Amino acid sequence: MAGLIPYENLIEALEAAPADRLFVTHWIDEDEHETATFGGFRDRSRAQAARLTESGVARGDRAIIIMPQGISAMATFAGAMMLGAVPAFLAYPNFKVEAEKYRSGLLGVSANLKAKAVVIDQEFPEEMLRCVSLGEHTKLMRAEEGAPARQFAPPAIHTADVAFLQHSAGTTGLQKGVALTHAAVVRQLGHLKKALRIDPSSDRIYSWLPLYHDMGLIACFMLPMVTHVPIVMQSPLEWVMRPESMLQIIDEHQCTLAWMPNFGFQFVPRRTPEDRKKKYDLSSLRALINCSEPVRGASMREFETAFGVKGEVLQSSYAMAENVFAVSQSELGKPPGQVSADGQQFRSAHRIVPVPESASAVSFTSSGRLLPEQKIRIRSDSGDELGEGFVGEILIQSDCLFDGYFSRPDLTAQAMEEGWYRSGDLGFMWQGELYVVGRKKDLLIIGGENIYPQDIEEIVAGHRAVHEGRVIALGVYNAELGTEEIVVVAELQSEALLSESAGIEQEIRQRIVAAMGVAARTILLTPPKWIVKSTAGKPSRSATREKLFREHPELRER
Amino acid sequence: MTAEAQQMIDHIMHLIRKPGVTLDENTPLVSSGLIDSMALVDLLQKLEDLTHMRIPVGKVQPKDLDSVAKMFATAQRVGKPRK
Repeated sequence: MAGLIPYENLIEALEAAPADRLFVTHWIDEDEHETATFGGFRDRSRAQAARLTESGVARGDRAIIIMPQGISAMATFAGAMMLGAVPAFLAYPNFKVEAEKYRSGLLGVSANLKAKAVVIDQEFPEEMLRCVSLGEHTKLMRAEEGAPARQFAPPAIHTADVAFLQHSAGTTGLQKGVALTHAAVVRQLGHLKKALRIDPSSDRIYSWLPLYHDMGLIACFMLPMVTHVPIVMQSPLEWVMRPESMLQIIDEHQCTLAWMPNFGFQFVPRRTPEDRKKKYDLSSLRALINCSEPVRGASMREFETAFGVKGEVLQSSYAMAENVFAVSQSELGKPPGQVSADGQQFRSAHRIVPVPESASAVSFTSSGRLLPEQKIRIRSDSGDELGEGFVGEILIQSDCLFDGYFSRPDLTAQAMEEGWYRSGDLGFMWQGELYVVGRKKDLLIIGGENIYPQDIEEIVAGHRAVHEGRVIALGVYNAELGTEEIVVVAELQSEALLSESAGIEQEIRQRIVAAMGVAARTILLTPPKWIVKSTAGKPSRSATREKLFREHPELRER
Repeated sequence: MTAEAQQMIDHIMHLIRKPGVTLDENTPLVSSGLIDSMALVDLLQKLEDLTHMRIPVGKVQPKDLDSVAKMFATAQRVGKPRK
């Protein structure tokens, strides 16, 4: 079938790639690159498979891989899949990660996965492992290169086997290892290949996306591996430090496809000096796809204007780990749809009533049309199915939906409803395209990273001066940054403590950064009984949000 | 203290805009919650400018940037001359 993937599993696809075709170019800096052909990559993966086997990792065992972004990490992942084990990438600790947060995340994941091995590199910082007891069944391995002691005999891989696990970020998210079968991943890649009209003879993917994230793992590792397309990648940290390097790489390597979250469309232009903006030739790009945060038209226009790319090159997609990756994709060669709607109708009636653009109108940018075999329902709070132009929760059913969260039937049951996945995202359909407007679940997305407000609330509530359970953490969109910022409201135990708020705020700030690695923009300490409670007596996030903006208009979205 | 270290302190003061906070070369920055990860990126860029070095970010850990003194020591240890 033209356009689809002619292989039954991911490893079969890797084995079929032409040996001498370039697969990965890892751009380290201007003078340093590491490359691997498909043949070379296969050899390195087999060596890793043999090493894992020697360490007792067998078919079905989980293997956690914590290595810096690069070919070794990818080969270890592919090697684990070759022997039928189930690999999962976890974020490598970098200068931005706090040791305490890191250790607790690692402990949670390895306990939940009952992993047979945790593979780290030679330079892995010792302090990140201090006090981490992995349990007697989990072996800590240092990755090594070079030929293994013995040959590796590949077992048969079945389409229904779990190929790997994907995690979403945050300590709560780490409990959710999304289990994906070879069949589901192959089907998703087939849809992407067709929608993006991928041609291995002319396409080349650029990526700075972390491999533990679905955009990095699926779009920028599995897709090129299975469709035999070269990929040029750099580490997320290099990109954050020098976002301009992205333009340099796309230009030098004539890359045709790339993905990034919404904030990147503002971050790159703002961090590129004015006199160098037109220096780069980005005309090789067919599609730069805005994905994994709600798509904002203004961010896309900023990128378009700064670098003179054609509007139709900037595309959009709605994707999530639970569906392997994409649910929708905008149509190539056309800019994603836009709609300007009456603000009042949108906020109060959750309804899209088109109006000309004005200060009181709200505008939305589409995430494209549904890929084949993807079905969605838009559902109201009361459970009614809604028609076009009404905003509700997005439910998904598809041929590439996940098998459940690994060893968490409780979380799986919460997320699934009669074969439909409840995304927790809010959106609407308009003229055949899907628009995603925000989240029903209270997840915050800070610079593309998922942060669960419950995690922050727990940290803040742990402070002796804060009333137990009377904390609300909110995400407030900052248009200047193109992403959300954290605002925390916490009730103090007593009015008297208000005189000490400066010191308390400082301690709370410290705890949030230490545990989450992000700083709160505002911490508002209030007298008791300030937070609005629901009828069930629990703090209500939405009502507290309204009260906060009413009493502190300076904290509104800006 | 070197002129570069003083410039870094001034830069951090400007960045955090907190009245009443004083900084010296050894004040903890990250572990005290004064600055977060996005600010570290900015500080690393400032450090590159002040030292005329290119700092390979993969070789830097949070503890290496926790004070102004540590930042300059890190630049000396891992920095490459800038082209």
